[in-house]
Parts: sequence; structure tokens; C-alpha cells
Amino acid sequence: MSLLLARLEWKRQFAQPLAWVLLAVLLALLAYFFLLSLDAYLRLMPKLAGTPSAPGVTDLIALPLLRACASVLLLVAPLIGMRTIASERQAGTFALLAASGMGDGAIVRGKWLGVVALLAVFIALALALPLSLEVGTALDLGRLAAAALGLLLFAAALAAIAVAASAYTEQPIVAAVVALASNLILWMADAGARYEGMESGFINYLALPTHLEPFLHGLVASVDVIYFLLLIGVALTLAARRLGVARRHA
Amino acid sequence: MASIPLLQLQHVSRTLAGRRVVDDVNFVLDRGHVLGLLGVNGAGKSTTLRMIAGVLAPSAGVLRFDGTDLADTPEATRCGLGYLPERAPLYPELRVEEYLVFCAKLHGLRGRAARIATDAALTRCGLGDVRRRLLGNLSKGYQQRAGIAAAIVHAPALIVLDEPASGLDPLQSSELRTLIRELGREHAVILSTHQLSDVAACCDRVAILHAGRLRHDAPLAPAHATLHVRVERSPDPAAWSALAPVADARADGAGWSVTLKPDASAADLSAAIVARGWGLLELRAEADDLERTFLRIASAAEARAA
Repeated sequence: MSLLLARLEWKRQFAQPLAWVLLAVLLALLAYFFLLSLDAYLRLMPKLAGTPSAPGVTDLIALPLLRACASVLLLVAPLIGMRTIASERQAGTFALLAASGMGDGAIVRGKWLGVVALLAVFIALALALPLSLEVGTALDLGRLAAAALGLLLFAAALAAIAVAASAYTEQPIVAAVVALASNLILWMADAGARYEGMESGFINYLALPTHLEPFLHGLVASVDVIYFLLLIGVALTLAARRLGVARRHA
Repeated sequence: MASIPLLQLQHVSRTLAGRRVVDDVNFVLDRGHVLGLLGVNGAGKSTTLRMIAGVLAPSAGVLRFDGTDLADTPEATRCGLGYLPERAPLYPELRVEEYLVFCAKLHGLRGRAARIATDAALTRCGLGDVRRRLLGNLSKGYQQRAGIAAAIVHAPALIVLDEPASGLDPLQSSELRTLIRELGREHAVILSTHQLSDVAACCDRVAILHAGRLRHDAPLAPAHATLHVRVERSPDPAAWSALAPVADARADGAGWSVTLKPDASAADLSAAIVARGWGLLELRAEADDLERTFLRIASAAEARAA
């Protein structure tokens, strides 16, 4: 049932202009960023050639690009996810799902999967930019794979937050603002602590970059995977609970 | 052993924002019956139907579907239920056919079965010509039909329709009544409306809700038992009684109030009048029991409130 709903969500996203416009504009921006870093790398190359164990293309082009992609996801996930449940309740179509008896958990999972699929397309397209360099040079594909996995988990967590925000309101724009605020709080949670030199406190554990960075350095650690899975689990559970409460007390 | 009713509401209440919208409602519905749920705006009809459909949970009381409590029955039971809310739940970006296939799958049909069910629903609701059109581009009437098609596509045992005739033109309303009568033969149907004529035309039982309480629940008296007739050349009462379909006739202002024999129809009466050459000017159903009951309940409540 969740897959059925995810397919519908996917179809509806691409039937509306928002997803297309977002993908086009953001890819254009990332492509520009990519060309700038490629140009900078080409200028720097003669100097690097003489340095032992100098950073390569993966370090200087691919990873900065994926880091930029992560920042963009902070903004895109709320925009893609804001309508999932809020607009269905606003338009009255939610009754169709609620009356089908598929269960609040399945509804939330279906919506989330639909958003994740769309964000995965965005990540895949962003990855295609550095991968195109494979034609002329050797990339560290293992590191890129780890980074892609990290970005996907990161996007899945942001999608879950967006769907949860969407379950708490009937106004998509309010959902987007709440999701964006939550994303930014989680993104910057340990900024102050880091400034004070704290690197491994609980506050660092809460912050998103703490767990995304290791992936970008090619490190897949279970603690980071678990962090993202926990975030997804908590957000989706909250969303499903909210739908149950609405059924009983709205 | 007494058979289990398809739908049973026991002391069902619902509070919305501190106001008791539905108050201790009880009724039972069996297969093969069409129940008309009447009430003025704000009487609690939609809330009752939303609880039956599972969109809202009751604040108190139990709803049983086929003997099991709706609150704790999973998908399997709900597949036996089709629901058209007040506003048809349509996705404007989908094509009619796509949407109905989705609805069929949502209720557990798979692959070929979903296709066949969709084709049947398209034909039944007269949507064949627009099957490839986007729902958002359809006229209100067609959108409403698509909503009805979505409620019946999985052939549910119980069909719940919340004001299905809203936005339909007279021709479409008449087609809808025919469809509901047809559905009522195989399924149980609950139809909410504030059009008395809809109830008279397609229901065999009527329940009247007022201010959240069930004030009336009874089988519908046969329609058109009493007719209002105007003729050019007025005969005397004895001449009326001589007509085969007539049980009783009384002078009634400008015309006659004619009660038919149980097996006679309005068509028989008009044929008899024409055969006598009395010059038939007007023949219509009198404001029937249903209307009187409805107005009595609504106005009694208003008088109490005043």
C-alpha cells in the first residue's frame, strides 16, 4: 500500500511544475558551481603536480559539489515535502486515503517514500556532474559511493521531517517553514559548541553535519547510519501519531 | 440464528471543538437497502457518514461493520466500504482512468482485476468518453460522477454517499437516482441529502437527523399514494370513485386530492381520466408524509430553540 501511494506521489509531483522547476534551477546552479571548481582546479593543477600526496579531483571538485548539494537539500526537501499531507487535507482528498483503511503509518510511509524518490533523482543528477570527469581522469569511486549513500540518508531524514511538518498543519507553506526551521536547527545545533572547541559532546551528536561529513570523507560508520535511521523513525512516528490524533480529536 | 447486520451504530456520539455534533445515534442497515439520511445543514449528517467511513473516530459508542468494530478492523474490512465525501476526493493532475485504477488498488484489487473493475465503474457512471481527460479539467458534473465511480469501483458491500447530487444538472440527478436504485439492489447504500425528492425517488428507508440526534427512522411509505389532480370538467366524488385506480377522492381547493388503490399507479389514473374525457390539466404527487415529517421535526426543534 505504501508503494502504491509513493507511486501516486511521484506521479503527482511530476505532473505539477514545482518539481521540474526546482530540479532545473538547482541543477543549473550546481552545474555553474561545478564549472567554477573545475576551472579553479585546472589553474591549480601545475602547482599540485609537484606536491606529494596532493588532493585530487575527488577532493577538490566532487566533494565540495556534494557538500553544496547537501546545503541545497536543506531548502529543497521542505519545498517538495510541504504538500504531501497538508494539501491533501486542505483539498479533502485525504478522506480517500483515510477511508481506505490503509492505516496512518502506511500513509505516512508512502508519502515519505515518494519524496525520497524525488530527492534521490536530484542527488543522482548532481552526482552525474563529477562522474562525467571519469572520462578524462581517475576518480575515487569508493569515496563517491560513500558520499552518495550519506547524501541519500541525509535526504531521507529531511524528507521525513518535511512529511511530519506536513502532517501537523493544513497549510503547505506553514509546513515548509516549520520543516526548514527544523532542518536549520539540526544543521547548526552544534555551531556554538564547535566554536568553543567542543567536538564530541551530545550536542555534536544531534547535529546533522557531524554525521554527514564522515560519509563525504568516504567513511561509512554505523553510528552515522543509525543517527539518520533514528531521525527518520522519530519523524515518521510523530507524523503517524498526528494523523491518529486528528482522526480522534479534530 | 439472527443474521449479523451489515452496519450497526450503537450509541454513537461525536464532539467537534467542544460541541456535540452527533449525539447518541443508533441504527442498523442491511444489504439490499438504501437508507436516506435527511437533515438540515449542520444536523450532523456528514459527521455521521465520516465516522462510518472511518475518517473520524467516534467520541463514544461503537460502529460495527459486518459484526466487527470499525475502530480496530484493518484494511480487509474497510475494503467492503466505499465512501464519497461531500467534496469528491479527486487529484486534479490525474486522468480519470488512472485515478480509478489507483482507487481500485487502494482497496486491495490488483493488476487485471483493478483494470476490469475500473472499466465497469467507467461504464456504470457514464465516464467512458472522458476516461483519458484530466480530472481537473472536467465539469462539476463529471467530477462528481468520477467521485461516485471511485466509491463503487471496488464493489463494496456498503456505499456511503454524502450529497452525491450536489452540482449535478436535473438530467444528471435523474441518472444518479437510477444508478443509486441499481446499486441498492446488490449493495447497502447510505445517501445523505437535503433533497426530499432524492430520498423519495431512491430510498426504501429514511432517517432524519436534527441537531445531532436521530429523530426519525422508518421505512418510506410508497410514493405517489396520494395525487393532486386538476381537470377541466369537474365530476362529482361518486364519479371519481367509479374510476378503477381510485380508492378515495376529495375536493381540494382548485382540484382534487385523489388516493390511489395499492396496486394502481399515477399512469393508470391519468389513462382513466383521459378515457373519460374530463380534460386532465395537472397531476402531481402531493406533499407527502416525508415532507410533513421532516418539516414537523425541523420546526418543532426551532420552536423549542425560540
